Amino acid sequence: MRAALEVEALKLRRSGAARIAALVLLLAVPGAAAGFLAAARMRGDSMLAAKVEGLVIGEGWTALLGLVGQLLSVAVLLAVGVVVAWSFGREHVDGTFGALFALPTARRDVALAKTAVLVAWGLVLSVGAVAVTALLGLTLGLGTPGADAAGAAGRAVVVGVPSVLLALPLGWVAGVGRGYLPAIGALLGLVVVTQVVTVLGAGAWFPWAAPGMWSGMGGAELAATVTPVQLLLAVPVGAVATWATAAWWARAEVR
Amino acid sequence: MSAGGEVLLRVSGVRRSFGPEHAVAGVDLTVRAGEVHALVGLNGAGKTTLMRLMLGMLRPDAGSVRLGEVDVRDLPAHAWGAVGHLIETPFAYGELTVDETLYAAARLRGLDRAEAREAVRAVVDELDLGHWARRRARNLSLGNRQRLGLACAVLHRPRLLVLDEPSNGLDPAGVLRVRRHLVRAAEAGAGVLVSSHHLDEMARMAHRITVLHRGRVIGALPPGGVDLEQQFLAMVYAAEGLDAEVAR
Repeated sequence: MRAALEVEALKLRRSGAARIAALVLLLAVPGAAAGFLAAARMRGDSMLAAKVEGLVIGEGWTALLGLVGQLLSVAVLLAVGVVVAWSFGREHVDGTFGALFALPTARRDVALAKTAVLVAWGLVLSVGAVAVTALLGLTLGLGTPGADAAGAAGRAVVVGVPSVLLALPLGWVAGVGRGYLPAIGALLGLVVVTQVVTVLGAGAWFPWAAPGMWSGMGGAELAATVTPVQLLLAVPVGAVATWATAAWWARAEVR
Repeated sequence: MSAGGEVLLRVSGVRRSFGPEHAVAGVDLTVRAGEVHALVGLNGAGKTTLMRLMLGMLRPDAGSVRLGEVDVRDLPAHAWGAVGHLIETPFAYGELTVDETLYAAARLRGLDRAEAREAVRAVVDELDLGHWARRRARNLSLGNRQRLGLACAVLHRPRLLVLDEPSNGLDPAGVLRVRRHLVRAAEAGAGVLVSSHHLDEMARMAHRITVLHRGRVIGALPPGGVDLEQQFLAMVYAAEGLDAEVAR
């Protein structure tokens, strides 16, 4: 298992897809949050200002970190989801799946190592995105962050955890679909279904909708209705996805 | 040439179909320690499928594949450390350099970090990959990717090698180097099963040549014999019920 972890970490470090996803989470998301806050502060009559004002909850640090949390609830699922799809699907597209047979390292362990490395990577990036946002806040002159800011930062980091776990079923799709494109398709499908389910009112009981709602995407009132149980539904989703993916890798034949 | 070491791999009555297509239709075959056993056949004869069945990449519909005394379906993962293989696509990840690819292959083959580094150094020398050691796999030519795949298959000094068209894409110097490596491995006691279309190449290094056609073993060719191509085609035509002279 240790060898598989080392190899999968090496592949992820060298991956172009992972680097782009990391840049999106570490630079684009904090940058967008700061931009949205600036637009809201200007209180202009532009369409952007009107839309952004609905997203901003609180003032100063709370507002900035709250915006980052909202953006991360979508961006982590998309960025980690794409890399999960790539990591599992590329073995089929590149034809290397067969080379992972007949080795002292079991394929089940390779699948578990991929999952562990991807989860750790996603969580580090979630924390990193909040840290970059904090630096950005200091640069923008938001002053010394207080207890409210710490709470908002914690909330933004916590949003990343279920979002990472909810990307794991895409690894199973990439196996069954024998490539990353079916998994990317499933990711897009998840985003669409989440929108539909939210509009229909099922909301936070749909695991992929809960992090966004809790982060304040539907406003402060809606965020307050999301329960810990609803957020924690991501844990069984991630656990079942990990088990199903490892089981598929252990049983699948080469095509 | 002859070699009569212990049986490392035994295939018994193996069958595998894909829908109505009988890709492997009841094959018996052994690979012994110290021998190069060549598997020859036309495209679609079932060579790759048979090798995949041997390595657990496919499950047989009937029959068994035993590595030593154990059916490969029951083989514990660590036992695969005695096997090296290259079937179609090499173990090559485009984003990794040649050195990194070899190190990754060595680690997945059960070598610890120090052993893996030493194995990489040795195989880079042996297969003359030094010039490309820092180059990413995606930037290698087809032939050099194949050499990289071969290096991954042999770097842990396995007792059994299963290689599907190992000289695919190699230049004459590369073919010679691979041939020497496989002959040396067999002399050191490894069993080597190798498939190829190149009968001359097989004649130069194999101790046994088995002919596969339509998923069945239809005969053997004498290693080191002359005019193997004619003998091979005559065997295939006879299996098809055709007159070799008329077919020619």
